[in-house]
Amino acid sequence: MKNLKVTTVILVMSFIGLTAISCKDAKKENTNEEGSQMEASHDNSDGHHDKEAMHDNSDGHHDEDSDSSTDHTRDIEANTQKNTATTPIIDAYIQIKNALTTDNKNEAAKGGTALVAAFSKFDMSNLTGETHKEYMEILESAKEHAEHIVKSPIDHQREHFEVLSTDINDLVALLGTEKTLYQDSCPMANNGKGAIWLSEVEEIKNPYMGIKMPTCGTIQKQIN
Amino acid sequence: MKVVKKIALVLLVAFVGIQFIPTERNQSDSVPSTDFMLVNNVPENIQKKLQVSCYDCHSNNTQYPWYNKVQPVAWFLEDHIKEGKAELNFNEWDSYSSRRKNSKLKSIISQIEDDEMPLKSYTLIHRDARLSDNEKKIVLDWVSKLKDSL
Repeated sequence: MKNLKVTTVILVMSFIGLTAISCKDAKKENTNEEGSQMEASHDNSDGHHDKEAMHDNSDGHHDEDSDSSTDHTRDIEANTQKNTATTPIIDAYIQIKNALTTDNKNEAAKGGTALVAAFSKFDMSNLTGETHKEYMEILESAKEHAEHIVKSPIDHQREHFEVLSTDINDLVALLGTEKTLYQDSCPMANNGKGAIWLSEVEEIKNPYMGIKMPTCGTIQKQIN
Repeated sequence: MKVVKKIALVLLVAFVGIQFIPTERNQSDSVPSTDFMLVNNVPENIQKKLQVSCYDCHSNNTQYPWYNKVQPVAWFLEDHIKEGKAELNFNEWDSYSSRRKNSKLKSIISQIEDDEMPLKSYTLIHRDARLSDNEKKIVLDWVSKLKDSL
């Protein structure tokens, strides 16, 4: 029994010892890296600048891609179809929006669950070609954001809601809606870069600022 | 004293025992052509930082220092790798739609800004994965530039 105790002690000591040594090494490396990285970053940022500029000019394909990206929202008036199929999706989105206007995290989470369900019930059998492809991209992104809204604290819910709003906005532009909607914009959201949202009512109720600043924002467009 | 000995013995046996339970290793020899580093023009210092701070859980290849092979650390890591890869896999970057890329870059920025990534529990052991304020700024500036260029 004595031998065992000694062995245990030795094992534990060596384990602690090794951990301590490895931590020390890592720390040393880290400080060295920081020094050299700062220098390296100076060199690189200049070189990178030029390359990036060249890349942008020469690569026309890149620009094409960005048309469907979230930064440039579609022209929402492009589609005047009175589509009823998108209604459950929009209703679930509006549920999240309204919950965020009153800082209600749990209601927003419920809306997230409803949105995931609405997407999985959506019948996409008559979507073809480009429309189908774009719908799939919107679906993938929107579902991911809805899932995060279900499980996140409210500040993260709002961050995901920013991108979700462009997704739903693009969905409405792509497939149309029978509902009357307002595209609103808040210049203060997204760390001052601004963000949009869709609303079913004309009155401004800001989901990004919530109770703090409920009337911040302007109507950009009316749909239907 | 006898009780202490017994407890120590049980702990030791348990510790040795769990070492024999196999874990799934997240390792791959090849880097697919869709990798973030291959499709984007990433400066070397940022490449290195992303590799060390992000790629262990957000790619198909984890670097396993000895302590990552010891249980229960390996289990803890395995879970995070699964979740991390589902959220964002840098190896599959170019297979994401531009809509998704944009949204991922936005999340990368906000996670780093809020100090939520790299995970505290991970940097606790993995000291070189920490981002200093200066490193944070360099990485964030670059990622924001990439996002704007998309």
